[in-house]
Amino acid sequence: MRLRGLLWCSAILPLFPVALPASATVEGRVELPKSRSAPVQAKRYEIVSKGGVLSTQPPLAVVYLDGSFPQPASLPTKEITQKDLTFIPALLPVRVGTKVEFPNLDDTYHNIFSYSPAKRFDLGRYRPDERPIPSQVFDKPGLVTLRCDIHEHMRGLILVLITPHFVITDTAGHFRLSGLPAGHYTLKAWIDSKTTQEKPVDLKNGQTLHVDFP
Amino acid sequence: MSAPGQARDKDVASFRTRLFTAMIVIVAAVTVLGLYLAQRKVTADAERNLQENFRAELSSLHKLEELRHAALADRCNALAGKSRIHAAIEDNAIDLLYPSAKDELRDLMEGEEPPPEQAAQSLHATFYRFLDGSGAVLKPPNPKEVGQLGRKAEAQLSLTKLPKTQQIGYVQEKISTDGGAVAEVLAVPIFSTDTGNVISALVVGFKPFQPRQSDAGAGMKSGIWVNRQLHLPSLPKSAEAFLSEKIANAVANSDRAENNFRVNVDGAPQLLFYKRLNPGSLFPAAYEICVYPLADSMAQLQRLRWQIGGAGAFLLLGGFIASHFVALRFSAPVKKLALDSEENRARRRRAEVALASAAEELERSTRYSADASHQLKSPVTVLRVGLESLLAREDFKPEVYEEFSALLHQTHRLTGVIDDLLLLSRMDAGHLQIASTPVNLSQLVNEWLDDLGALPDSPDVKIEKEFPAGLFVAGEKRYTSLIVQNLLENARKYNRPGGRIRVSAHSNGSDVVLTIGNNGRTIPRGENIFERFHHNAMPSAASGHGIGLNLARELARLHGGDLCLVRSENDWTEFEVRFPAADGVNAVA
Repeated sequence: MRLRGLLWCSAILPLFPVALPASATVEGRVELPKSRSAPVQAKRYEIVSKGGVLSTQPPLAVVYLDGSFPQPASLPTKEITQKDLTFIPALLPVRVGTKVEFPNLDDTYHNIFSYSPAKRFDLGRYRPDERPIPSQVFDKPGLVTLRCDIHEHMRGLILVLITPHFVITDTAGHFRLSGLPAGHYTLKAWIDSKTTQEKPVDLKNGQTLHVDFP
Repeated sequence: MSAPGQARDKDVASFRTRLFTAMIVIVAAVTVLGLYLAQRKVTADAERNLQENFRAELSSLHKLEELRHAALADRCNALAGKSRIHAAIEDNAIDLLYPSAKDELRDLMEGEEPPPEQAAQSLHATFYRFLDGSGAVLKPPNPKEVGQLGRKAEAQLSLTKLPKTQQIGYVQEKISTDGGAVAEVLAVPIFSTDTGNVISALVVGFKPFQPRQSDAGAGMKSGIWVNRQLHLPSLPKSAEAFLSEKIANAVANSDRAENNFRVNVDGAPQLLFYKRLNPGSLFPAAYEICVYPLADSMAQLQRLRWQIGGAGAFLLLGGFIASHFVALRFSAPVKKLALDSEENRARRRRAEVALASAAEELERSTRYSADASHQLKSPVTVLRVGLESLLAREDFKPEVYEEFSALLHQTHRLTGVIDDLLLLSRMDAGHLQIASTPVNLSQLVNEWLDDLGALPDSPDVKIEKEFPAGLFVAGEKRYTSLIVQNLLENARKYNRPGGRIRVSAHSNGSDVVLTIGNNGRTIPRGENIFERFHHNAMPSAASGHGIGLNLARELARLHGGDLCLVRSENDWTEFEVRFPAADGVNAVA
């Protein structure tokens, strides 16, 4: 009995502190495309293009709750470094208006630029000691392909989203989004530059919803 | 000449005509064949020369194209490797394509246009454009930087799809009423380094290769035919339009990429070559055109025709003269042969007649002498026997015995003449056979000389002998002896008192020569002493019956030797008789 009461409590307790500002959680798994090759390093991802479709390798997905949410006064600055002639991280989801810095950690020049409709910019050539660290504010939603004019093979992706509720899955495709407002929304899973899956979700405060893609 | 003579002349004339006709036919055939072969060779040579010229022209064009292709392929591979180009195409930032490529292609467009002689080494482009995924031209944001083109000209750069390989095209750069200029364009695919797909194409326009007139053959004109329009600036407009139509027909009617045909431009014959410049290209078909005036080769042909025709005529004339002479030469022997044969026939007839009469005469004379000797012999014998029986009686006076003795001597003479005549008649009839044995001539002569000295009526003559003993001749002893006797008796008979007889003999290997000379009256020149029954014109005490010499000669000849008078002058007459020597018996003197 005591044990059952304890279990009950433990089930209820988490709801209460979070539920007080009223929040919901979504968790589940995104069916990721099969990786073509085994990952060499656990933490290294790169962007690959196959038939003009950009995705991470090994595959990852970004799950986000689509919708319009109030914009905060300021957003934290994010960072994509250039290290060993790759972008780290290779895939970065950010909220619209986020400033991203691009520090160069290699010993060579880099020239980060993008021709993507969501953001066109060209940081020019710079060395690791460039100060201030070259940065861009991404104020338009969409996928931004990062390239280096000097190192043609380098690719990076910034997924600029309106929503603040997003998360990158693990390599197995598992995700968990918490602190979501209750309501009727569309949950989307960005899998690659051409593939975004979506599911309607009804979020209720204090509830954990399980959603699997597809 | 008679009828056969005229027929012969006719034959000779017809032979000559036939010979001449044959020669004319042969010469004419050779001339025609020569003309035909020479004309064919000249035409083929001219065509081959022009074709080689055309090929050389094309090869310099192709060399330039290859150079441009290689350079542009490199350029495009480099471009495809550029992040910005990729970004512009893949990220749908087409407006940024030209600015991104500007730096890469700057050197292609910038700089002074090279002089024509360096054009082949230069990559100087006049414009460039990118094609989008569907093959359409991407509008440049600033046409000045990529080479300005008219709307129509730019439209020609579009392709129905993106090319997988380099494509050559020719576009009319400035379309105007005067034909405008033609630019060579190269479309080079840009492959995505990620996917390997063709994501775009770069189209670069160059000034078309202009052949230098000095390189080309005399009067050669070259140009390009594209979009059913000929661009051959050195030709007048009307001719250009005319040729353009001709080429269009030729191209439409033949699926060959390369060919040539003859055309008349303003009345002058020309040989026109064409070759597809961009086989298999997605761009409209363009042809390299070369027009060569044929005036030179035609003139050469004409000259050659005259030369060969002249040579043929000359040959014909020479043939005519030669055949005339040959016919003459050939017919002359024929004619002569005909004449000769007629003459020969007549001569033979005459000879035959003569032979027949001679044979008849001979037979008659042979028969006569045989009959005569036989008829004479028996009465002489009767006479001699009668005389001898009379001499045997002793009741006559001594002078009567002397008379009888003289008469008996005459009968002996008569018998000798009859024997001689008999022998002659046998010889004439061809019945006399010689049984040849070695005969000792020396001994024979000695015996006869002894007899000569013993004769009762022998005059006072001196005998000189000069011959070796044991000279042998081949013959029958009886007749050999007769010859020697005849000659020695003559030498004694016709000698003068106190004269001499010289007998000499020697062997010269095959023959034995016996020479008998004597003093006395000489034989006049021209007197045929060897004739039968010959009598010397001058009567003398000594005389024969006129057949001795004849018989001796006939006998000598029958033996294979001869008898002749060597000389008769200055109180000296010399006969020489040759006998065949007996084999291997005589020593050579």
